[in-house]
Amino acid sequence: MITTQDLRMRFSDGTAIRYDDLRFEDGKSYALLGASGCGKTTLLNLLAGILIPAEGDIQIDGQSTSGWTQKARDAYRIAHIGCIFQDFKLLEEMTVADNINLLRLEGVDVSGMDALLDRLGILRLKRRRVRRLSGGEKQRVAIARALIKRPALILADEPTGNLNFETGEAVVAQLIENMGSGTLITVTHDDRLAPRFNCVMDMNAVAHFEFGREADARA
Amino acid sequence: MLRFALKSMATRKAKLVMTALSVIITASVALMAYNISTQVSEGIVNTAAKYDMIIGPSGSATQLAMNTMFFTDKPLGTIPYSVVEDLQNSGLVNQAIPFSMGDSYNAAPIVGTDAALLADKPLKSGAMFAQAMEAVVGYDVARQYNLAPGDSIVTSHGLGGSGEAHAASPLLITGVLARTNTAYDTAVFTPVSTIWALHDHEDEDHDADQGDAEYPGAAQESEDDHADAHDDHDHAEQGEICAVLVRSTGFNAWSRLSAIYGSDSNYLAINPNTVLREVMDNVDLSRRIVYILCAVILVMNLFVVSVIALLNMYDSRREIALMRLIGISMKKINRLYLIQNALAGLAAAALSLGLSRLCLLAIRQFVASMGIVLDASRVYPMEWIILLAVFLLSILPTAICTHRMSRRATLEA
Repeated sequence: MITTQDLRMRFSDGTAIRYDDLRFEDGKSYALLGASGCGKTTLLNLLAGILIPAEGDIQIDGQSTSGWTQKARDAYRIAHIGCIFQDFKLLEEMTVADNINLLRLEGVDVSGMDALLDRLGILRLKRRRVRRLSGGEKQRVAIARALIKRPALILADEPTGNLNFETGEAVVAQLIENMGSGTLITVTHDDRLAPRFNCVMDMNAVAHFEFGREADARA
Repeated sequence: MLRFALKSMATRKAKLVMTALSVIITASVALMAYNISTQVSEGIVNTAAKYDMIIGPSGSATQLAMNTMFFTDKPLGTIPYSVVEDLQNSGLVNQAIPFSMGDSYNAAPIVGTDAALLADKPLKSGAMFAQAMEAVVGYDVARQYNLAPGDSIVTSHGLGGSGEAHAASPLLITGVLARTNTAYDTAVFTPVSTIWALHDHEDEDHDADQGDAEYPGAAQESEDDHADAHDDHDHAEQGEICAVLVRSTGFNAWSRLSAIYGSDSNYLAINPNTVLREVMDNVDLSRRIVYILCAVILVMNLFVVSVIALLNMYDSRREIALMRLIGISMKKINRLYLIQNALAGLAAAALSLGLSRLCLLAIRQFVASMGIVLDASRVYPMEWIILLAVFLLSILPTAICTHRMSRRATLEA
């Protein structure tokens, strides 16, 4: 289970986002809904350890992460978190297999790659370079890379952002089908996908922007 | 890790090839410049060390030294063979070796001498010549013209192999010299009596040998009286030689000989060490210029290669950021890029060495015509240092870049 306490992120332009305390339970899927720029992606990056909060704490199974070094965050991310990015973050000049094999550098077992690619319907693309794939295919590769290590936490940032609704719906369905016992937190601005998830959070109500003196006063 | 590094390199092969080419060309030029200048200097020093005096007809000291030491240039003219006998009977010399040159076999000069000239040159096969019309060929001559003991060669009048052939007087090859990496590899050696015999024979056949520009003594002819020289047949005829290579018994003997022959206007007595040192000073100046040019090229390329490497790393920032985002540690990323650049550096260093050796082989013939035979397989310690610098140059910018990236506290999402 992941919980946040007094979480606050401050940006270089002086603005800050303060989040209400949140709680994500194991085995459940969450949809973070909200307009663009409401702090959804920032929350995901904080949870992934990509960004470091200015204040507050993120606890994983009761353990605080506030004292973690970047190295510890990297280690936790590779071991327990599967990240799916809106712009895929794939090595475009490498093949689908290479992108997944990249995880072997950190000792991740990728022996289930063929089966996973088959389930996602992209096994035939295994030897194809990523730059030759369509947006939907790339998104499936990104999902495969996230799921291959059977992560405890899957963080998906707008996984359907570049796809039409039908394809996006299929991608979300595949994510949920393959998440196993892990927790899935998905950022989306498409509320038509909301019924697919166990819980839906309205980020407009959860994330609070602070500007100028308000932000400075807390700094 | 290695497999992934190779795959990653394959995706950037155009950039890598351009970078490697830049490094290879620079390093090859540096290696060649150092190798050639060092081998030429060593060749000159080693050759000059054997004799402390050369006596020939009056003329250019450099020409006399280059002709007798490296078989280049044309002889100054002739002196009587009796000079050799006088020297041997003087008690002032350990060795007085006759030297005559003027004919050729293809491009290889025919050197008339005696076996003492080759005393320290081991034979690869066969035996030393024992009488007139026998010859020992240098290693490169034998290899180039596929010659072996027992074969016969027809020499030509004059240097350069373009003169009239002595078809009626072939030389019998009795031996082949082992490789010396000196001018001896590119010459044919025969008793001085062979030269006399060839020209006696020729004189019988021809009343006058007009218009032979490469005749022995042609240099002097051009300076003195061309027509008179031909009329007088100013070359190594019976009883004449082009020079005497002398090893004196000591400094006093050398001084006396120097006084005797130095004061006679018909002769020129030189110390090859002194003359060649002057030549070397010129070579040294050239070498310094080459080094300076190489240094300039190296510095410029150092800059270019560093910029290319940094730009490559800049391009790789997205890739590195991506890897960090999915959790690959900076330690692994560092190692991945170091492997890639080390492989590129090693390949560049190896190819630089290979290319420089190929170039050495290519210009070997040209340098050999100047009397120095380059050993393309020879690698000096300084060359290893240059190659090490090339290798480090390939790694350092990457190491610095990845180190700087790893020190950043936050990741780029």
